[in-house]
Amino acid sequence: MQAVIQIKDLNKQFGGIVVADQIGLEVHAGEILGLIGPNGAGKTSLFNLISGLYAIDSGSIFLNGKPLAGMSTVQRARQGIARTWQHMRLFPSMSVLENLCVATRHFGAENILNLIVRPLSLKQAQASTEQKAMHTLERMQLHGLAHSSIGDLTFGQQKLVGLARALMNDGNCLLLDEPMAGVEGAAYETIKDIVREEALSGRAICVVEHNISFVKDLCSTAIFMANGKILERGTVDDLLASKTLETLYFGGAAA
Amino acid sequence: MEYIISVLVLMGIYVILSTSFNLIIGYGGLISIAHPIFFAIGAYTTGVIAIHWDLFAPLTLLIAVAVAVIFSLMLSLPSLRISGDYLLITSIGFQLGLLEVIKHLGWTGGASGLGNIPNIIDGANRSEMFALISIGLACLVFLMIRWLLKGPYGLLISAMRDDEVAFSAMGRNAMAIKLVIFAIGSGCAGLAGGLYAYYYQYVSPEQFEILQSSMILTMVVVGGMGSQWGPVVGAVLLLFLPQAIGFMNFPPSVMGPLQGLIYSVLVIAFLFLRPQGLTFSLKKGSQ
Amino acid sequence: MNFSIFLQILWTGIAVSSYVVLFSVAFSLILKVVKIWNFAQAGLMCIAFYAMYVGFNYWALPKPLSFLLGYLLTLGASWLLHHFGIEKLRQRNSTSLTFFIFTLVLSEMMTYVFALAFGTEPLSLTKSIMSPVHMVGGIVISEWDIQALAMTSVVLVLLHVFMNRTKLGQFMSAAADNPSLARLYGINVPRLHVYAFAVAALLMTLGMYLFGQKVSMIPNTPLQMMLFAVIATLLGGMGNVFGAAWAAVALSLLQALSIFVIPSQWQSLILYVFLFVTILFFPQGFSVQKLMAWIGGKKA
Repeated sequence: MQAVIQIKDLNKQFGGIVVADQIGLEVHAGEILGLIGPNGAGKTSLFNLISGLYAIDSGSIFLNGKPLAGMSTVQRARQGIARTWQHMRLFPSMSVLENLCVATRHFGAENILNLIVRPLSLKQAQASTEQKAMHTLERMQLHGLAHSSIGDLTFGQQKLVGLARALMNDGNCLLLDEPMAGVEGAAYETIKDIVREEALSGRAICVVEHNISFVKDLCSTAIFMANGKILERGTVDDLLASKTLETLYFGGAAA
Repeated sequence: MEYIISVLVLMGIYVILSTSFNLIIGYGGLISIAHPIFFAIGAYTTGVIAIHWDLFAPLTLLIAVAVAVIFSLMLSLPSLRISGDYLLITSIGFQLGLLEVIKHLGWTGGASGLGNIPNIIDGANRSEMFALISIGLACLVFLMIRWLLKGPYGLLISAMRDDEVAFSAMGRNAMAIKLVIFAIGSGCAGLAGGLYAYYYQYVSPEQFEILQSSMILTMVVVGGMGSQWGPVVGAVLLLFLPQAIGFMNFPPSVMGPLQGLIYSVLVIAFLFLRPQGLTFSLKKGSQ
Repeated sequence: MNFSIFLQILWTGIAVSSYVVLFSVAFSLILKVVKIWNFAQAGLMCIAFYAMYVGFNYWALPKPLSFLLGYLLTLGASWLLHHFGIEKLRQRNSTSLTFFIFTLVLSEMMTYVFALAFGTEPLSLTKSIMSPVHMVGGIVISEWDIQALAMTSVVLVLLHVFMNRTKLGQFMSAAADNPSLARLYGINVPRLHVYAFAVAALLMTLGMYLFGQKVSMIPNTPLQMMLFAVIATLLGGMGNVFGAAWAAVALSLLQALSIFVIPSQWQSLILYVFLFVTILFFPQGFSVQKLMAWIGGKKA
């Protein structure tokens, strides 16, 4: 089965700082890959390289077999790459529902001619988008907040909305950047369940996380990165048993 | 009475100018001072066509709008490709440079301007008809922009303003939206220019210089950027300002700079004391 | 093309580039250190000029004192601009649109103030804009030319020493490159901004001093000249003050020499063409290395 995400020999450096050093990995549909490692290891940078925010120095990235070389961030998102952000980056001047509705893979009204020439089919598309958005919010028990403004949400709720927004992209690639950071209680379980559901429905998911128990619970495989390099890969149990990880994460003496 | 009518014509023109400029800088967040040049392009296009070919007036206005849009793309495409800040610089160069070109071309009448633009409305009620058309077009432009902003396109614009990176990473083309906003705004300025040319039947480069840009800017800032009624309020209020100064009977050489001074002081005062302008958004965020 | 005419135009172009360089360096310095596109510079240039004009022509002050008067007033205005304008806007986290509107409208306001005060008749600092000339090898060299080149060179050398050898100058570059880091090191960044404005004010005043003795101007003139400063700053690379200086010289020369290729009525347009060429091909600034690399077909 073809991998959804395929990265070969990816290299990137900024000045003297190497953020990607011969990175190679594959994520298949239904797989949840965990990316762990100390801060500055290049995990978020890897997401930025995949989504096209950084230009690569050398190597290649494939999405469903298609090379992403030369594609802009906008084009890659439309190919089906959805992502969340460490700092959420929601749109504060819009309601929760509106935040979700602009996040679909294709947005008819983006082409201004559609507004004039095809208003009816546009309205239909909008209605079905809203339906989908409400359904997504229901999965997270947030449908009551659909018309609230972002500023009125708690931190956990905002994190959930960020995830919901990414899910509006119906592609099969999902990049989650520290979805659990600062999250606890009910929101934690909700996010875990939803990520599992999305994998089951065929998405290839890549998660950057520091929360090891989350990674243990959810990820089939994991990769340990430091200084832009992949140092270990395997199942989460393999990684946790590895000496390298112990040294790099906990600095020598085992926990 | 005749005098009030001509103010009404001017009011319609300036409501179009300020509303469309607000779309560009207030809603689109694009920094550009090149609005007066599109006003000029519309006026000159209309004047030249009217003099040489005498086409049906609405068609001429349409052409004026199209020419303004084409020129706007000539400015926005290369500039926005680099970054939004570059649009600022290139708009200054575009505004000043194109005006220089106009001053030197023969068929635009050069520095002394283009006169003898044919009259399109005959009769005793000419001014009244123009006032009606002007206010009518102003309403049309206002409603069109309002319709645009209230609909899904308005959502896109808000999201783009909030966080352009996240916006792009979800597949929305921010560059295209900026180009479209700039084109629509500039096209409207071109329309205002055409109206101006037909009414006054004379256009000259001085009418589109710096005083113009600070006047339109004043209307937008004082009225309230990023609100739909703001520029309308600004335009109406500030058009009555010269009338107020006029009562003081200063010589013409003082009137111009004094008017400019008052506009500048108003902009700066509002910028510091009441940045949201005279109108305030009743709804949080985009209105 | 007559060679001596060519030399003459070359010489005059270089001499005239003196004040252009000063204005460009001032603009570039403020962009580098204070990090704003200071369109209010045109207004400050007006203040410098008219202050010196009043000092020299109304109060019959000798030139050095007029210059001092001009500098002090420009300095004061710069400080007011910084303290009550830029810092206030910065505290409010204003957008670059707001800074732009503020600085530009401030310059426009000064234009109108001076138009009301002095009218729109062209004025120059001295009664006559002709100065004694010498003939050197067939080229006319005026006292003004010599004075302009000498003063500008000295000032630029001093500026170079200041920026690279003195602690204050080095702090300025540090604060320009990384303001937050500079703050952590205890550098008072707002005060550095004031110093940057002080230096820029000096450059502006000197520039207007030279300009005002060669050309007669109206209140609108500095605003038109800002375009030159902006293009030079872009070409030189943002953050590269001396790059802007070189760019200003090059642009000035190109504009002067363009008389050989284009009719004089279109000369004023050359600048705008340069602007577009710069934006299109050299948005990060022009560097000889990049040009060589591009010619050689390699990536820089």
